[in-house]
Amino acid sequence: MDTTALGFNTINLGHGSGGVMTRDLLDKIIFKTFSNPYLNQKHDGSIVHFNNKIAISTDSFVVSPIFFKGGNIGELAVHGTVNDVAMCGAIPKYLSLAFIVEEGLKIEEFITIVNAIKLAADISGVQIITGDTKVVERGKGDKIFINTTGFGEVNPKANISTDNIKVGDKIIVNGFVAQHGMAIMSQREGLEFESTIESDTTNLNFLVNDLIDEFGNKIHLLRDPTRGGLASVLSEISQDTNKGVTIYETKIPLEKQVAAACEILGLDALYVANEGVFIAIVDADIANAVVEMMQKDEKGKNAVCIGEITSGHPNKVVMHNELGGKRIVSPLIGEQLPRIC
Amino acid sequence: MLIQKTYKISISGQVQGVGFRPYVYSLATEFLLTGTVSNNEEGVIIFVSGLKKVIFNFYDKLIQSPPPVSIINDSRINQIEYRFFDEFKIMPSKKSSRLNLPLTPDFAICDNCKNDMHNPKNRRFDYPFTTCVNCGPRWAITETFPFERNHTSIDDFPMCEACVEEYTKPIDRRFHSQTNTCQTCGIKLFLVDNSGYKLEASKHTLFKKVANILSDGNIIAIKNTSGYLLCCNAENEHVVQELRDKKNRPHKPFAVLYPSLDFLKKELQLNEPHVKSLTSTERPITIIPFNNYKGNIAIHKVAPGLSQLGVMLPYSGILQLLANELSFPIVATSGNIHGSPIISKNDKAFEKLKEVADYFLQHNLKVTHPQDDSVVKLSNKFKEKVLFRRSRGYAPNYFNASINSDKKIIALGAHLKSSIAFYPNNYLYISQYLGNLDNYDVYERFTKTTLHFIDLFEQKPNVVLVDKHPTYHSTLYGIELAQQHDAELFKIQHHKAHFASVLGEHNLFTFHEPVLGVIWDGTGYGDDGHIWGGEFFKYQPHKIERVSHFEYFNWLAGDKMSKAPKLSLLSLSNSDMQSVLKDKFSDEELTIYQSLKKNNKLKTSSVGRLFDAVASLLNICDINTYEGEAAILLENYITDYNLDDCKLYCSILDKNLIPTEKLLYNLHLDVKEGHSKQYIITNFLYTLASIIFQMASHQKVKKIACSGGVFQNTTLIDMIKEIGENKYKLYFNRNLAPNDENISFGQIMYYLHCLNS
Ligand SMILES: [Fe+3]
Ligand SMILES: [Mg+2]
Ligand SMILES: [Zn+2]
Ligand SMILES: [Zn+2]
Repeated sequence: MDTTALGFNTINLGHGSGGVMTRDLLDKIIFKTFSNPYLNQKHDGSIVHFNNKIAISTDSFVVSPIFFKGGNIGELAVHGTVNDVAMCGAIPKYLSLAFIVEEGLKIEEFITIVNAIKLAADISGVQIITGDTKVVERGKGDKIFINTTGFGEVNPKANISTDNIKVGDKIIVNGFVAQHGMAIMSQREGLEFESTIESDTTNLNFLVNDLIDEFGNKIHLLRDPTRGGLASVLSEISQDTNKGVTIYETKIPLEKQVAAACEILGLDALYVANEGVFIAIVDADIANAVVEMMQKDEKGKNAVCIGEITSGHPNKVVMHNELGGKRIVSPLIGEQLPRIC
Repeated sequence: MLIQKTYKISISGQVQGVGFRPYVYSLATEFLLTGTVSNNEEGVIIFVSGLKKVIFNFYDKLIQSPPPVSIINDSRINQIEYRFFDEFKIMPSKKSSRLNLPLTPDFAICDNCKNDMHNPKNRRFDYPFTTCVNCGPRWAITETFPFERNHTSIDDFPMCEACVEEYTKPIDRRFHSQTNTCQTCGIKLFLVDNSGYKLEASKHTLFKKVANILSDGNIIAIKNTSGYLLCCNAENEHVVQELRDKKNRPHKPFAVLYPSLDFLKKELQLNEPHVKSLTSTERPITIIPFNNYKGNIAIHKVAPGLSQLGVMLPYSGILQLLANELSFPIVATSGNIHGSPIISKNDKAFEKLKEVADYFLQHNLKVTHPQDDSVVKLSNKFKEKVLFRRSRGYAPNYFNASINSDKKIIALGAHLKSSIAFYPNNYLYISQYLGNLDNYDVYERFTKTTLHFIDLFEQKPNVVLVDKHPTYHSTLYGIELAQQHDAELFKIQHHKAHFASVLGEHNLFTFHEPVLGVIWDGTGYGDDGHIWGGEFFKYQPHKIERVSHFEYFNWLAGDKMSKAPKLSLLSLSNSDMQSVLKDKFSDEELTIYQSLKKNNKLKTSSVGRLFDAVASLLNICDINTYEGEAAILLENYITDYNLDDCKLYCSILDKNLIPTEKLLYNLHLDVKEGHSKQYIITNFLYTLASIIFQMASHQKVKKIACSGGVFQNTTLIDMIKEIGENKYKLYFNRNLAPNDENISFGQIMYYLHCLNS
């Protein structure tokens, strides 16, 4: 898009006034990009049709920096919500999209983000059906915040519930962990690692749906360990089920450069945020088949079983290390504070 | 006028399981008095009839020379209505109400029992579980109370006729000895190899065999009365290295068990307090410094880089019988791996240790409360005793704390050196050292010990005290525990708890005069969310207030900073010092850490980290392989010092803070000038010691109390005493370790005196 044709270089307060400037911004960028029958009605909302149970999930995205290695806040806002809907065992179909823009954001940047949203939505098979744009004074925001709400149709074969988890169930993760968090952090803190770490942000809905089609209710729970990392999701699971979670340190898929970066920074990869990662808690007798099926998919090629649900140590996640030591993994509480004397 | 009267005598303290009733019996019989003696939940109760004068003579003697291992806290004598007794009798214990007396710790084997074991004519010849009322395990085998045989795991071994006779014969040393067993009825030892194959040996050749196994260069796991020990020949450097490799413990020093005091004296120079410590009934590992070790043990493998050695003498029948067959000292280290707690169960030992040990010497007595060996060090100059680990022999009682509260208080301590303190009745109990709570097995032992305390005393806590650190596992568990018992929960700042521990140990809360608290350690979560560790507090009645601290520097890289002293150096290095970092970090690391430093929000005042920085700057230690390694190696450089030759690296600033960075920078200038490590370290310690007195005079206080892990440095303690002993009253932890083991006790003291008054 030729930004000079727009007649403005940055977004200013007028673009959030609701008046002519707003309309201009919407017409020239938003509607033009996302054009679809729902949006083209230009109503206050959209009327859509569902045949089945629906899953709804909402999320706000406030990442800094907004552009990072491997993606930007735009596709993050699509993937995050698409994945949350998918984790309910549903097929995401529609997305709402709301921006809160800080005055002064470069229009070029805004357009890049909008285009990333469009591309991510197309790849994920979802349509943007309603939205909103607000502009706040300089200093009252951080460049751009995005909220998305996703709507999906629940796969009739899915039965995703914490209640289905039983002792002996296996915990499977689709691929390398900690990439997104490390990418964001290294860029935000200006850390120059020898090799750059890229965010793994991606949509997981097709892989998840394939798994449900194949294994149905033997897939007991799906979760994407975003903020708080693997540790927090597993802790929640052990507490919600009143069962133990055992994981094996050597099985946790960790890319070499991410592992090295965690080591240098003294960070525990289990607590670092992920985007393109999910865990599946499945019946033990399908565990191998699930892993195999995942491995055939680009988004699950590093899938591996990392542990199981146990009757021992209820409410606690315990990680076994290579040497036979057992460490308690507690949920993330605030920041990682040192405990060693 | 010879009128018979009856008196009731009540005695409380450490009076059960120590032969108190038999002793009373024989004394009463000697004085020709009649009556009864019994144990109850409050101690020992005596009813005695006779002439008033005789009864008082009897009472005086009883109080003035009680049985050897007993401790009397309180005693009363009251006349009651006259009662007639035929004779003097020991009454069986009855459990009628709740336990309200100290528990009994484990005692080292006494000389009489040793003689019995060594005498071929004695029926306990070569029987390793020989005990009497004056010795043997107690807390290790306690299941419930009062301390009676059927409340311990010894109950699995019904006494044979001969043992029953001893047990019931008043003049016998084993009269009412609850741990009485013999070869016929008692505990069985067996020797297996690590494939589970049982090796045959008669009781008279067993220890010879074990000694041969050791001398052949094998590692053996020995089940002692307080848990497993891993042992090997300390003179054989290959096997010591093998043990290090298998335990994944590259440098942390091992304790050495010497066969006898005479043997030990040939290899190390002992002073009087050393001997006293080594032969006490607590029988701790005692750390002995040496200038130039001339013995035969593989000293560089046993205590790498150190000029001190932790040694102990046999304290159980098993270790004594083994020692008799040994012609060399052995490494004796807690039987565990990878930070798990000391193991006490046979199947678990086999499962966990079979990769480490070639052989297992096991027995069938259940150990209810496994305990590590305690560790003690004495300072060189002033012989100040510092406890490094409070466990076997000391746990689980704590005396001398004046507490008066109707609350039932449980305190869950810290994280890395966890311990539990409980005040359920009129006594205070402090568990043995329990270890690092990151480890799940330690955590399990920690929660079990907590629950056992609650069960044992049949008292639910109504106050739960935890550290303020949001992610200590003890804190998280305390939150659960308080919910379960509907108890009040208080989070107490780490260093205030340290300070309260030393105030409590010396009963300083009762004084109105202010006390300066000098609390230095590695890490603790501060009231302002930063990592404290170089703190000065002032105690005024019912209030502990932070008055100063070491100037903040950046806390980098989470727990890694504690493991890598070079990170502390990096954090404290100013722009003039960058060249010292070049050899320690890659370019990538340097740029990353420098940018971290720029935006870093977490700050620290930790003196522990300052020690780390100094150790790294002097190229003594860049990476810790065990906790405190850098600080230990640093202290190790100083064998002697002369304060007159010392100089200061800094003084307290106008704004009353300690200039941490400046201190390090000035020290660095001496390094650049080529001064010796010894010179620099001495000045460093001298600077720290002097700062304390600058602060005391600035704050106008005359009493100074020091606590925190840094005060495990006995050279620093000597310097502090030398500088200030005449002008100030100085207090250190005495019966508790200065490190985080004292936090549980400190939490209770802080709650009682600063929160609840
Ligand atoms: Fe501490
Ligand atoms: Mg979400
Ligand atoms: Zn004895
Ligand atoms: Zn017997």
